[in-house]
Amino acid sequence: MPLTEAFAFESVVLERDGRRILDGVSDHIHAAATTAVVGSSGSGKSTFLRLLNRLEDPTSGRLRFDGRPLDDYDVHELRRRVGLVAQRPVMLATTVLAELQVAVPELDEQRAGVLLGRVALTEHSLDRDTASMSGGEQQRLSLARALTVNPDVLLLDEPTSALDERAAMAVDRVIRDLVDDGLTVVLVSHDLDRVADVAHHVLVLERGRLVERGTPRDVRYLD
Amino acid sequence: MTLLVAPTAGSAAIPDWLGVAASIVLVGIAAAIALRQRLGITRELLWAAVRAFVQLLAVGAALTILFNRAGLLGSLLWIGGMVTIAGLVAAGRARTLPHARRTAWIAIGVGTATTLGILLVLGVIAPEPVVVVPVGGMVVSGAMTAASMTMRGIAAAAAEQRPAIEARLSLGQTSAQAFEAYFRSGVRMALVPAIDSTKVVGLIALPGAMTGLILAGVPPLEAIRYQIVVMYMLLAAAALSSIVAARVTERSLFDDADRLHRLEPVA
Repeated sequence: MPLTEAFAFESVVLERDGRRILDGVSDHIHAAATTAVVGSSGSGKSTFLRLLNRLEDPTSGRLRFDGRPLDDYDVHELRRRVGLVAQRPVMLATTVLAELQVAVPELDEQRAGVLLGRVALTEHSLDRDTASMSGGEQQRLSLARALTVNPDVLLLDEPTSALDERAAMAVDRVIRDLVDDGLTVVLVSHDLDRVADVAHHVLVLERGRLVERGTPRDVRYLD
Repeated sequence: MTLLVAPTAGSAAIPDWLGVAASIVLVGIAAAIALRQRLGITRELLWAAVRAFVQLLAVGAALTILFNRAGLLGSLLWIGGMVTIAGLVAAGRARTLPHARRTAWIAIGVGTATTLGILLVLGVIAPEPVVVVPVGGMVVSGAMTAASMTMRGIAAAAAEQRPAIEARLSLGQTSAQAFEAYFRSGVRMALVPAIDSTKVVGLIALPGAMTGLILAGVPPLEAIRYQIVVMYMLLAAAALSSIVAARVTERSLFDDADRLHRLEPVA
């Protein structure tokens, strides 16, 4: 079922070890669009992402997903609806098929083929050793793995930071295709040129505060 | 002058105190090697020998009182004391884990109580202090080693494999599902020493229980019966305490929202 509203957050504060990582962040994230969260290192971007699937909880403030408070959801159901792909891809199995079956053991080869097609990995055999894949291929396989549970949202932490230009462009194409299919994507990125190309909306964090927001054309941070 | 007491009927020769004093020569040999090679541990070695002497003297005196006066209840309290100390030692090796002491005490306690309980209920060992205390000591020692190894292995996995565990949690897996492979690995790792000891028992060196009984004059074919019971009980104690340590530890690693606590890397 398509999302009516992705995320809304109000006065979100997160403190850890006596430090304010996020300091009163309020805004919302549009459904079926790509929202990029940008800012300098240590501005709280990755932590913000982790709030959205409850790998972190705010110290105070309110977060809503699809109109309901985040902690109203069963946490496992939430994480299936809001998938997270970390910055460095982590392979959990030895073959491509087994990797896709981690969350869905009954996933058959036909469905596996469809998922690989969505992330432009169709040239790879399902028996291929995941350790022999390049960083870009593992990143796309991680995306396919996240898609096995049919999420409504994908959270991507620096999806192209460790990739060469060709692999990064392939990931960009995948992200555009996923959003065209109705998925909501929230990504963290240092690559401002890439953000300007891919994102529909931009949130700029600085020392845990939301300092700017808007379309890539409106946001001065991207200049 | 003979340094050994003449054997009493049915028992082997036991060194007298002069014999014990003579054996200090062996400590001297070890200390001389350490000193000559400038290993920097001579003082520690000598102190360990003095501590062993004093501790064993104290334990021997305490056990004499225990066996003569305290009965089965006193023996079980003694074993309780051993479990307490064993828990502190095991927890010390996995300091990075939340509630490490509680986990160690539960694991060692369950492993010891179950194994010893079965042996007593089945009548394999007599419910007498002179049997329960030494057998209980061996069970506690085996349970402690297994619990310690399990906790340490799981602590290492939780610290080093955080990205993989969180990748699984992010797919909607429960903490039990996300941690399953490391759980199994922790338990397996703890059982391997007990299994290996059981495989080679008697082939490399005579094990302790059997040695003690033979020295006391028990015929070998009778002594091995005790040793077989000991090996089987150590397997059970290791398996039980390891699985309990793994389960309790796993629960303490994750919070209510199935998030992995942040742990320091294991030293």
